Amino acid sequence: MSGSNSAKIVARNVAAFRRFGDQSGITQVIAGNPAATRLESGVGNCFPGLECDLRNLERRFFPFLEAEAIGNLLLIVAIDMDAVERGGAAGSVTPADVAVYRTLADDVAASRFVFVSRMAGSFGPLGQMAFDLALIAMDGEAEVQGDLSDTSSGVGRRPSDAWTAIRLLTEGIDVTLTFRRQGAAGARPTLTAPRARYLDDNGALAAVFLPGELTQSLCSPWTHDFRDCGCFYWASNHPDIAQPVLPSGGATGQSWQRDVPWERSARVVGIQPPEPATDTSSQPVEMRHYEINNRWQELHFVLGRREIVAPYASGATAPGAPLQNLNTLIEHLRYAAGVELAVAQEYLCAAYSLKPITDPGVAGNAALRDDIRASRAELMRIAIGEMRHTRAVNDIIRGMMPPGTFEPALRVASRVPGAAGQMRDVSMRAATKAAVKDFIDVEAPSAGVDGLYSRILATLVAPPADVAPLATDEWREAIRSIIAEGEDHFQTFLDMQEWLQEHAEAAYLRSVAPARPPAGHAAHLELQTAYGGMLESLRDGYRKGRFLGATEINAARTSMVMPGGIDVLADAVAGQGFLVVFDPPAGADFAPLDPPA
Amino acid sequence: MNVITHLPAPSAAPLYKRFRSARGEHLLVVPHSRLFDLPPEVAADLDLRPEEAQRLASALGETAPGEAPLDLVVEPQPQSLSLNVSSACNLACSYCYADKGAFGGKQADRMKHATAIAAVDRLLTVADPERPITIGFIGGEPLLNRALIHSVVLYAGRAGNDRGLDVRFSITTNGTTLLPADIDLFRTHPFAVTVSIDGDAATQDAQRPDTRGRGTFARLVERLAPLLAEPGRAQVAARLTVTAGALDLATRLSAVYALGFSEAGVAPLRTAKDNANIDGDGWQAYLDELIAVARSELAGARSGRTIRLTNLAVALKQIHAGASSPYPCGAGGGYFSVAADGHWYACHRAIGEDDFILSNSEGLDSHRRRRFLTARHVHAQKPCNTCWARYLCSGSCHQEAATRTEAGCDFIRGWLTFCLAAYCELATERPDYFVASYPIRGIQP
Repeated sequence: MSGSNSAKIVARNVAAFRRFGDQSGITQVIAGNPAATRLESGVGNCFPGLECDLRNLERRFFPFLEAEAIGNLLLIVAIDMDAVERGGAAGSVTPADVAVYRTLADDVAASRFVFVSRMAGSFGPLGQMAFDLALIAMDGEAEVQGDLSDTSSGVGRRPSDAWTAIRLLTEGIDVTLTFRRQGAAGARPTLTAPRARYLDDNGALAAVFLPGELTQSLCSPWTHDFRDCGCFYWASNHPDIAQPVLPSGGATGQSWQRDVPWERSARVVGIQPPEPATDTSSQPVEMRHYEINNRWQELHFVLGRREIVAPYASGATAPGAPLQNLNTLIEHLRYAAGVELAVAQEYLCAAYSLKPITDPGVAGNAALRDDIRASRAELMRIAIGEMRHTRAVNDIIRGMMPPGTFEPALRVASRVPGAAGQMRDVSMRAATKAAVKDFIDVEAPSAGVDGLYSRILATLVAPPADVAPLATDEWREAIRSIIAEGEDHFQTFLDMQEWLQEHAEAAYLRSVAPARPPAGHAAHLELQTAYGGMLESLRDGYRKGRFLGATEINAARTSMVMPGGIDVLADAVAGQGFLVVFDPPAGADFAPLDPPA
Repeated sequence: MNVITHLPAPSAAPLYKRFRSARGEHLLVVPHSRLFDLPPEVAADLDLRPEEAQRLASALGETAPGEAPLDLVVEPQPQSLSLNVSSACNLACSYCYADKGAFGGKQADRMKHATAIAAVDRLLTVADPERPITIGFIGGEPLLNRALIHSVVLYAGRAGNDRGLDVRFSITTNGTTLLPADIDLFRTHPFAVTVSIDGDAATQDAQRPDTRGRGTFARLVERLAPLLAEPGRAQVAARLTVTAGALDLATRLSAVYALGFSEAGVAPLRTAKDNANIDGDGWQAYLDELIAVARSELAGARSGRTIRLTNLAVALKQIHAGASSPYPCGAGGGYFSVAADGHWYACHRAIGEDDFILSNSEGLDSHRRRRFLTARHVHAQKPCNTCWARYLCSGSCHQEAATRTEAGCDFIRGWLTFCLAAYCELATERPDYFVASYPIRGIQP
């Protein structure tokens, strides 16, 4: 949430809107996964998948180089000379290294092989070491086997192969590569640089990876050896085992919980569960290679570890009772917007309460540092998600109101739904373990905010007479999306609870119980001014509506992320040891809002 | 619609144009004329990294569902015709491209009734019945063949009614021979009446004398007054030709508005036998004049008035919609002009020019038509195909392409740049102007 790159461009004329008017048109041009995608976002249940070939993460382990590991060969396939030259000009790459990079680039451009013949560095648990890699026969010299042997065991063991070696390299610590250039047997130039990062500060993939790069080597299920390969290069990581398709009449025994071979040859979905997977079966229960070519379509989707053959229906959310009329629905929607704002503020307050990762007590502790970094990034992501929900709910309210009567819903709720149907006061506090527990409760399925939206959705699905003409698919989908994102938030807070439980609160918080800033506190006042301005922009933008209000809504967004914006101001308050809180600006538009009766 | 061929833009073609208005920094994405507001820091960043701006524009400029790809050469059905009904004129404007309707002797006769009806029949048969069909009358002075016009309007109106077609009419006239019966015809049919008038009495009389050298302003005003006072279904607009010697647009337009015209457009003379055409430095002077009158219209628009200068009103409307075409007009595509001898030409300016005949005795000559449409696609025009204005100007009038000059093109780019900024300013200050005039689907005013 920083930097001017976050600023949006705003569509101005009809043609610019038309470009984004059709959802299918939008999805066509999005290159790769969204920026917020994490490695753990994949659907595969065996591997930490992103529907990517994880080996591709290692292709850019060394600055400015792109390398391909083939067994124990490590071939250089590209050199980013533009970046090298810029580094040279800026003084971050020495002239001698620039010359080496240029030599290698010339070789690659002329289709001459460049291999890494020797690698020295810090290989994680294996420690500091150096070894030779394999080389093909060239320039009259014989093939070189190198020091890696496809096995790795015993004292002083080496990595098993070139890719594993790179995988083990410790980020940020120097690696030295020695190059063998085709046609230049005598010269063995070297380069030394820190092992490059593959994630950025927020845990997202580093920008160095181009769209499509991580998926470039994936295969497809209709290829011959699909059944053989457990890992790496399938478009979606496929399980070896899964729970079987449930019978239409419902499961009747424990045997339906067993793990069965996912690629089994017998595809009958019947009243008996398939045979369980074993590693000693005498029967070839899996499809043979030729069968995979023909029958890959018969493989079942797996959701939540279980195979399904019918459209997925979540049974998690119990439908709420519909609200009685339009007025009540609007009242609940306005309150829902207020709850979104309230919890967004709680999450922001918690995020800023975390120690910065540059804190001396944090920087030296990798586990603590990573947990703080991940928690902060997730709190920010979820807070931004709640802000988007606020916008979505306002759009729905506008759509439900007679033309000209809409007033933006930007009053922050005073109380929010908590555990077990209880309401609790909105509470600004640090990200203590108790606070995270409350966050889990507020996002829990069927309870908290989810319960509130369930009733709204039920009202749109089975609308009373005065809602019926207004209950469109668009609004139902919008509410369903909010509910679905709430489930994601719930899961994320459970993860966060797990990350933080290992650490003492004093270790990861700037202060366990920071005070509200005192009256007249300069940084706090500056933050309130910016916050008030942001809310006013939002109000003006929402009033104008989706098309005409784009400029104001963008201004509100920019006021949060721009240099010197709300993000920076809030950080300053927290840096001085105080809670980051947001006071309601004057006026009825922003007065705190109580729950509907 | 038949796709004839793909004609990609050259790789050197710019995909964006950066510009600034009083409202901030903007980006025109050239394909499909999409406009975006840029935060200042993004604008500064893109200006430093043109390759990044080009990449962004390339993504933003992709053809969206429902949009016509810009690199296709297609052969649409004819949707509008102009009938060159008269080869004579009662005026003797020195700059006339039509040689008073005779087109250098190639159209010596006026159009016969049977020729006109045959053309109308053919149009009504092939046109898309779901879209408006337009029949125009042009000359010479078309009203010199008044009986034919009246007859064709009644015929086409009735035929359209019978078949459920939306048939509309247009006429370009000097107005000096208007009769009450003509005015009745215009009032009772959906007529776009364009009156050629060059401004105040002095300019009109000097530039548009009759064949005996007498001024025509007084006569025109007298004949036209009843129509302007009570136009009925007619939409009446003035068209002013601007010659090198008479650039004072403000005075001339004021005189025209004073007559009761609610809209007027100006057209610079690009080619003229008497060398009165605008050229060289004249283009900058003309641009300055045009911008000056446009600014005064914009000031009026901000306070709630409609824009009377059609050059500006149309440009703003097109920019709002994102008009984007590889052709400057419908010539040879949806529009044809029928000569007195019954031949279908690509356009009324081309009557008598063999290269522009697109019909034969069988009907439309598909071969000639395809050749014309392929050659006239803006991607086939140099240097137009590497100009940022290529889908807004689209190479400009086919007839005038041969006399295109750098100065003339600079004028067009200058005018478009002005209009782009004016659009961003007006759309911010008076968004209802566009939403009310040209609603965006799904957006409430």
